[in-house]
Amino acid sequence: MKAVILAAGEGRRLEPLTEVRPKPMLPVANKPLLEYVVEAAAEAGVDEIVLVVGYKRERIQSHFGDGDDWDVDIDYAVQSKQLGTGHAILQAESRVDGPFLVLNGDRILEPAIIERVLDWEPTDDALLAVTHSNQPSDYGVVEVAGERVQAITEKPPRFATATDIINAGVYRFGDDVFDVLRKTETDGELTVTAALQGLVDDDRVRAIPYDGFWLDVSYLWDYLEVNAEVLDRFGAAVSPTADVHPSCVLADDVAVGADTAIQPNASVLPGTSLGDNVLVEPNAVIANSVVLSDATVEAGAVLRDCIVGENATIGPGSTVEGGPAAVAVERALHEDVRLGGVVGDNASFGGNVTVVPGTVVGTGAVVDGGSVLRGRVPSGAEVRRG
Amino acid sequence: MCGIVGYDGRREALPLVAGGLKNLEYRGYDSAGVALCEGDGLVVYKQSGEIDGLELPTDAAATRALGHTRWSTHGRPTDANAHPHTDCTGTVAVVHNGIVENYLDLKAELDGHTFTSETDTEVIAHLVRGALDDGAADLQTAVESVVDRLEGTFALGVVAAGHDGLVAARRDSPLVVGHADDGTFVASDVTAFLEHTREVTYLEDGDVALVRDGTTSVRQHGEPVERERHTVDWEADAAEKGGYAHYMLKEIHEQPRALRQTLSGRIDELNAEAVMDVDLPAAYLDSLEEIQIVAAGTSYHAGLYARRLVEEHADVRVSVEVASEYTFDGGRDPWRTLVVAVSQSGETADTLRAIRRASRAGARTLAVTNTVGSTVTREVDDTVYIRSGPEIGVAATKTFSSQVATLCLLTVALGRQTGAMSAETAGELLANLRGLPGAVQQVLDDEPAIREVAEAYADGEAFFFIGRRLGYPVALEGALKLKEISYDHAEGFPAGELKHGPLAMVTERTPVLAVLTEGARAHETLNNVKEVESRGAPVIGFTSLDGAEKYLDETFWVPALGELEPLVTNVYLQLFAYHVARVNGRAIDKPRNLAKSVTVE
Repeated sequence: MKAVILAAGEGRRLEPLTEVRPKPMLPVANKPLLEYVVEAAAEAGVDEIVLVVGYKRERIQSHFGDGDDWDVDIDYAVQSKQLGTGHAILQAESRVDGPFLVLNGDRILEPAIIERVLDWEPTDDALLAVTHSNQPSDYGVVEVAGERVQAITEKPPRFATATDIINAGVYRFGDDVFDVLRKTETDGELTVTAALQGLVDDDRVRAIPYDGFWLDVSYLWDYLEVNAEVLDRFGAAVSPTADVHPSCVLADDVAVGADTAIQPNASVLPGTSLGDNVLVEPNAVIANSVVLSDATVEAGAVLRDCIVGENATIGPGSTVEGGPAAVAVERALHEDVRLGGVVGDNASFGGNVTVVPGTVVGTGAVVDGGSVLRGRVPSGAEVRRG
Repeated sequence: MCGIVGYDGRREALPLVAGGLKNLEYRGYDSAGVALCEGDGLVVYKQSGEIDGLELPTDAAATRALGHTRWSTHGRPTDANAHPHTDCTGTVAVVHNGIVENYLDLKAELDGHTFTSETDTEVIAHLVRGALDDGAADLQTAVESVVDRLEGTFALGVVAAGHDGLVAARRDSPLVVGHADDGTFVASDVTAFLEHTREVTYLEDGDVALVRDGTTSVRQHGEPVERERHTVDWEADAAEKGGYAHYMLKEIHEQPRALRQTLSGRIDELNAEAVMDVDLPAAYLDSLEEIQIVAAGTSYHAGLYARRLVEEHADVRVSVEVASEYTFDGGRDPWRTLVVAVSQSGETADTLRAIRRASRAGARTLAVTNTVGSTVTREVDDTVYIRSGPEIGVAATKTFSSQVATLCLLTVALGRQTGAMSAETAGELLANLRGLPGAVQQVLDDEPAIREVAEAYADGEAFFFIGRRLGYPVALEGALKLKEISYDHAEGFPAGELKHGPLAMVTERTPVLAVLTEGARAHETLNNVKEVESRGAPVIGFTSLDGAEKYLDETFWVPALGELEPLVTNVYLQLFAYHVARVNGRAIDKPRNLAKSVTVE
């Protein structure tokens, strides 16, 4: 059976990281979210995948090519405007024949659930994997009676949810779903849940329960947590081409990418991923952080609970002290989240920059040495000291 | 140049050979053909035009076939001139890449034979038939006797009705045997069969190989020889388009990854050294007076970039020569001259000839190439690989970036070894190299902006590219890219030369693209920007110079990267050329009249 994987979305809650890459390409333990989905699908027995791509699709295409590295055939369907997940599925219509799976491209889950949905008895009903969440209001909340789905509510208000059962983002449809999608009325955005609601009304959706492991990155601070959990769960890998000086301290559960150089006396502590071609200069200390490819962490810098974007430069002696913070995202204030700071892609710090917990520095920002940063620094900004 | 692919085995040969031809299309695409060995007979399908247009049977049981995709040298691209060529009886079929220089003499000897094409190749089919009729023991022996009579260069594939197997022969044109589980391939390039096997044997000059029943027997002058098997580590998917509209765009976007490969394990910041694994003894370097770089096309521009780096940072005199113009003379001392061949494919005939001249004169030679096992690597004293991975688009993109990065690494290695380069300079260059993949990604992320500008200026009457110092080779390369794929009139100039002539061509209908970065003497070039602006020309500038935007109609900011800023700028120029060609509806991966690596002189 073919799997259609939805990877066209942007992921605005994760700005500035999603200004240059789509959310499915965020690396967790040095592997993009989407790669976990592709691997799980391949392991579950899927051998043909249609990736629906759109926003910054070059990043996805350059990484996955034709899928040979994963022993699957990957084909691309382009959703040029982001008109919803249902609209995205419609873009794959010409590449699908008969029943097919639909997967979210930005959620890590185990192959078992995909296999279960894949191997479920033939039926004309749509299948929907469901799981539990302690924050159901961030997802599609599903009301279930026995095996039958009664209602789906997309991101209901907090504390107003009837149940903690949520949509796990794994579906199986017959090719009649395309007609259902076309007939679904929308107010501009056609979501897959809106179409499912139509099928629910006809009592044609079955819920497949899933108790296994899944991880989702909704917010910037989730990113660090998910990264640390994946490192912990799947173990870490230090690339054979990484160049680690013997005097360095490397904790057990860290990931180090290809051609990354770690210079004398630097410490890379638990929960940390360093991407490819990263340079960590002498005496730097990096803990519970994600440093993306091509970044430079100069001598003596200290990064805790910190996200460093691709090709960013952290000047010598700069400090991201880490710890709990209050962060505003899309006008909502999230208090007591663990986020030392985010440094956008291509941003560049001079020496001795101090980052107050919860600071988010935009893409390509240039920060003078000695500055103290807090709150939001917009993309492309120049921060002068004084 | 042309592409050859043959198969002998247990599977149906036609789809394998047709698929192989499709993969070799970059080697030529003005006509194509296939010969199928069915029972005791031969059937040939061939016609002018692209491979997709070739009419082939939907079903054929033959398990042995030969195919060819052609780029014309002798005879126009017509159905009759398409390969394979057969003899009068239609029982011998030949595909050929190269030139038979004495074909007119040979043709004159073949009195009474009927020739159906204007090609040099057809004589080979007639000669092989003749050798078989004269009692040659087998097809391999017959081909050996014919090859001895040919002057010129060739890679040949031959099949004959009533003879098992297929015979391949090479002299100066590439040929590789692929060993699959269910049969054997013979092709001009591994990309023809990479999806079926990675186990290969490269044939060498003078080899005549018989491929039959899963075995390959290679002979030189009639004596059996052993040729090593290699495993190719290129991914087959690297030769597919993966969601991109063109190979060229795919390859442009592959540059960050290709560059990380190029640099992998070669940067040693702690000691400010480049780890290049090249054997240049200290005593030799002490006496070295000059480096000559020989190259063609885009590789020549990479050589020009390297000249500045080596002369200024490693303090060795460098000359860069177009390979087809190269001679070893001028009173040079071969013992004190290093000749460096830069060639993506390692098969470029002009470059091979140049390197042979240098070797004959006694100079030490070094190749900088992308292709493991290519001819040039066997002809030189030492080889450095650029490790870009396969490049299919006819217009070279990622290999230019990797060539310059590799030559920059060599500059550091050389300068440090001779002591001419300080640790500080080396450290800066190495930091720039480490920053290169990220800076290139940054430019790629800005593609929507350059696409918009390309669309706005795509109808320009001509395009002029200007730059100084390291910006000059980049101006030449930017213009070449645009010429190659959009067929527009484009020229690159040293910015200072404008006023000595070319300025006369500048009008408000001729956009000027200016390299205004570090390493390109941007302040001086700004004066030339003002010159063209006063003639009304729109100026598209690529800069890292604060305030330059005041003089520019369109400004693109280049990330800070010292001596490599012009190289990063070139990625913008690649995208500009691509989008201009796209807007103008050009066949971007297969520009008219061009082939990827030219194996004729």
